[in-house]
Amino acid sequence: MHALRKHIHPGWLIIAPLLVLVVALYLGPILNILWLSVTDPEPGFGNYAKLGESDALLRILWTTVRICIITTMFSVTLGYSIAYAMVHCHQRQKNYMLTLLLVSFWISILVRTFSWLMLLGRKGLVNVTLEDIGLIAEPIAFMRNEFGVLIGMIHYMIPYAVLPLLVSMQALDKRVMDASSNLGATGAQTFWRIYLPLTTPGLVASTLLVFILSLGFYVTPAVLGGGKVLMVAEYISVQLLVTLKWGTAAMLAALMLFGVLAMLWIMSRFMKLSTVFGGAAR
Amino acid sequence: MQDKQFMKEMLTDGAHAYKEGRMDRRTFLALCGASGVALSAVMAGDAEAAADHVVMWNWGGQSEECHGSAIGDAFTASTGKGLKFDTSGPLEGKIKEMVDSGNVTADVADADLFNAVSLGPTGHLEPIDYSVVSKDKTLPGYALEYGVSVILYGYAFVYDTEAYGDNPPQNWADFFDTAKFPGMRSLYKWANGSLEAALMADGVAGDALYPLDMDRALAKIKSIKEDSLYWGSGSEAHSMCVNGEVTMGMIWQNRGRNIENDTDGRFKLVNNQAMAMPGAYIVPKGNPAGAAVMQFIATAQEVPAQLALLDCLGMTPSNPAAFGEIPEDQQDYAITSAKNIDKIVYNDPEWWGENGGDAVNAFLEAIS
Amino acid sequence: MADLANTGSLQIRDVSKMFGTFRAVDGVTLDIERGEFLTLLGPSGSGKTTLLMMIAGFLDITQGDIALDGASIADVPAEKRNFGMVFQGYALFPHMSVRDNIGYALSVRKRSASEIKARVDEMLDLVQLQEFADRKPTQLSGGQQQRVALARALCFAPPVLLLDEPLGALDKKLRVEVQEQLKDIHRRVGTTFIYVTHDQEEALSMSDRIVIMRDGAIEQVGTPVELYERPATKFAASFLGKSNFITQGDKTYALRPEKIDLRLGQGGSDARVSGTIRSITYFGSMQRIIVDSVQGDEIEVDIDVWRNQEALTEGAKVDLLWQEAAAVELHDT
Repeated sequence: MHALRKHIHPGWLIIAPLLVLVVALYLGPILNILWLSVTDPEPGFGNYAKLGESDALLRILWTTVRICIITTMFSVTLGYSIAYAMVHCHQRQKNYMLTLLLVSFWISILVRTFSWLMLLGRKGLVNVTLEDIGLIAEPIAFMRNEFGVLIGMIHYMIPYAVLPLLVSMQALDKRVMDASSNLGATGAQTFWRIYLPLTTPGLVASTLLVFILSLGFYVTPAVLGGGKVLMVAEYISVQLLVTLKWGTAAMLAALMLFGVLAMLWIMSRFMKLSTVFGGAAR
Repeated sequence: MQDKQFMKEMLTDGAHAYKEGRMDRRTFLALCGASGVALSAVMAGDAEAAADHVVMWNWGGQSEECHGSAIGDAFTASTGKGLKFDTSGPLEGKIKEMVDSGNVTADVADADLFNAVSLGPTGHLEPIDYSVVSKDKTLPGYALEYGVSVILYGYAFVYDTEAYGDNPPQNWADFFDTAKFPGMRSLYKWANGSLEAALMADGVAGDALYPLDMDRALAKIKSIKEDSLYWGSGSEAHSMCVNGEVTMGMIWQNRGRNIENDTDGRFKLVNNQAMAMPGAYIVPKGNPAGAAVMQFIATAQEVPAQLALLDCLGMTPSNPAAFGEIPEDQQDYAITSAKNIDKIVYNDPEWWGENGGDAVNAFLEAIS
Repeated sequence: MADLANTGSLQIRDVSKMFGTFRAVDGVTLDIERGEFLTLLGPSGSGKTTLLMMIAGFLDITQGDIALDGASIADVPAEKRNFGMVFQGYALFPHMSVRDNIGYALSVRKRSASEIKARVDEMLDLVQLQEFADRKPTQLSGGQQQRVALARALCFAPPVLLLDEPLGALDKKLRVEVQEQLKDIHRRVGTTFIYVTHDQEEALSMSDRIVIMRDGAIEQVGTPVELYERPATKFAASFLGKSNFITQGDKTYALRPEKIDLRLGQGGSDARVSGTIRSITYFGSMQRIIVDSVQGDEIEVDIDVWRNQEALTEGAKVDLLWQEAAAVELHDT
């Protein structure tokens, strides 16, 4: 007991009940999912074998990954520019931009999704205007296809991309950039050699956040995709709620979980993840 | 999960036995201890079972108000029991989850009749007590062991009168004919109705649809995929028409009237070959109100309740005794009205209950 | 490398800087000679850092002109001025090794790898950090980081090196050591150093010339000895060292505490002022004595302990003596 005390900080005893609870509440459902994926409808790896048998499942997974990658690329790139502008403009404009960003952050996803239909639908503001001024004869199909899904998702994800970047950029010592230009670096050299590397942890955090959130997207693809863009999250929900193929749903959920974990693992090979999640850069 | 269900049943039985004096207190407590359940939890659950109300599980919104006025009031008047609502939407997976978890909080779910076919044999539903509920007050074939149809809704379509002018589409064959009737269509995303419409369009007779020829139906669906959108909810189907995204839309027939009104008559409902869907009441296994819920279902079958639901929600009566009472202004919209009843076809809940899951997946895979 | 033999003089002509309506720098005119170690000394808000930032090119000049060797650089952007700079807090690149930090200026000028390596090695020698070349800045002590910053700023042989409170983050003992190294490096490289500090001891011990600044303007310019011995204003006298102020008629004189002698008893014919000892504070090598003069002034006297044979006590009556030249007449009454 004494020997134990020496090694275990007494603080752990205080948080132990909470820790156990948290672990149980996190691990319990995850283990349940993994269990379901190898037991429902019958024991074995039949659910996983479906991946090899069904082109449709692979197509759904590929659609999901493709849309998530494109969404992440655009949201993070746009988010980077927005965060950069916010950090480098005057305080008043910055507050203004932050307010706009948070307002769009707080608006329900349904409202945002349907607003895009109002704007870019077949009879939406943009198409009607373009037709009225004679620029186009037929409405442009912005919505109810993969392009529409991307517009909706990128728009939704931009605030998520901006916030980690904003934190990362605000934490930068401006003098480091001054030092670079003082040493003769051009603006572009300073950006590529100093600014970008120093904001990389924020960039990675933002990329991970957006990508992982995108994987779980459901409402926007369902509505803006016109039913034709089927992503994993919606497919899982249908398997759970409508077709009662819980084993398939669990298998896909497990697959996404392992996919994300694998991604984090690969990332951790290249950089310390603690710097991404707010730890000190070393 | 099954174990938990068994445990609860055992304890509830035990609680009854204890109350009636058939089991001594020590034995009952030992039983509770053995299953790790506090005494109060079982007694409370038991007390709930003797509740003075039934809980209806539906989709909320207007249907909450309408179920209250059309059925709840009459039910309360005759039994003295109230009606409460759970509006979280009784999808098949949620019913299964609720029963499996052993924490059943709803008495009757406003669901589809095919849910009774898929969930009944797996032990998730209470059988319908046909000594209280009447098999004659619904259409033949729609009174099943684990569920009874109390209303009908239908898959019909609306079309844009300005797009098609003097030569409007009249049946599913026209709906699927994009050469003769160009423009975007919308179909139901979860296969139901869409598959049948495709087969009818392909020349299958309305009374010879089942078992569905999936390959043939999906081929037909795919043939107009480029010109199709798919909706997942009634409001989405509605907005696709009202916002001019489609020129022809499959819809739930009870939405037809609203779409006609919201487009000032530009869109028109076609009930020819409409697919009648038996909306059903089903009872989750171990429902808290117990047998009292059968009285509620019986009340819903009565002609006044049937007509009130039609008036309030646009849901068509399934009790043949009510067909003749459908008022004049509903003749065009109610699919079992004298005007429509000879033109409609009937959904087979048995086929859907047994094959629905695979059909939905095959459909989703075909359209995505 | 540029030939430093004939470059590195700066001409600052009537330079002002406005922030909105606030005049941060007010009409500064100053000539800085090639190879000089010049210190801008002043309290915070005196405009010394603002002036430095205008010289570096990080701030625009509102009015006036700055020239290098006679040619205006007012419109030359910071990255084209070729001035080295050591920043407050050093502003090292945290993601680069010491070697890459030091070689950065040559690297962005697209010099060959071998040239960069040779020059960086030379700089590592200069600041004695050879064995730390592959460390990251965060793995170094404060003093080592300061030397990396210096090496980085000197690597491309700038004609002028600007130092913004470079020792501010170091503890007192280390600071004295680094001052020595800085002076040594200055002698060896021959670059013009412009050094900003609010620490008067630092300014006195290192500089060829000191510019005392106050409210955006130059208060006084001179060598350390000139400024200490002949302060022109009350502000200069009190900011650089300690000073008593003695008023005679309409004239005010500055009088350093260590230039006053003290004798027990009152009324000596050579006494300049008589008074009573209020307090004595002992510092080991010297003691600080506060005297209330009969005229009502408070006069501080610093006396070496060894000189003080007679025991002084609080409340004792004393005469104060000083040489005529020790009292410096001030010009800002």
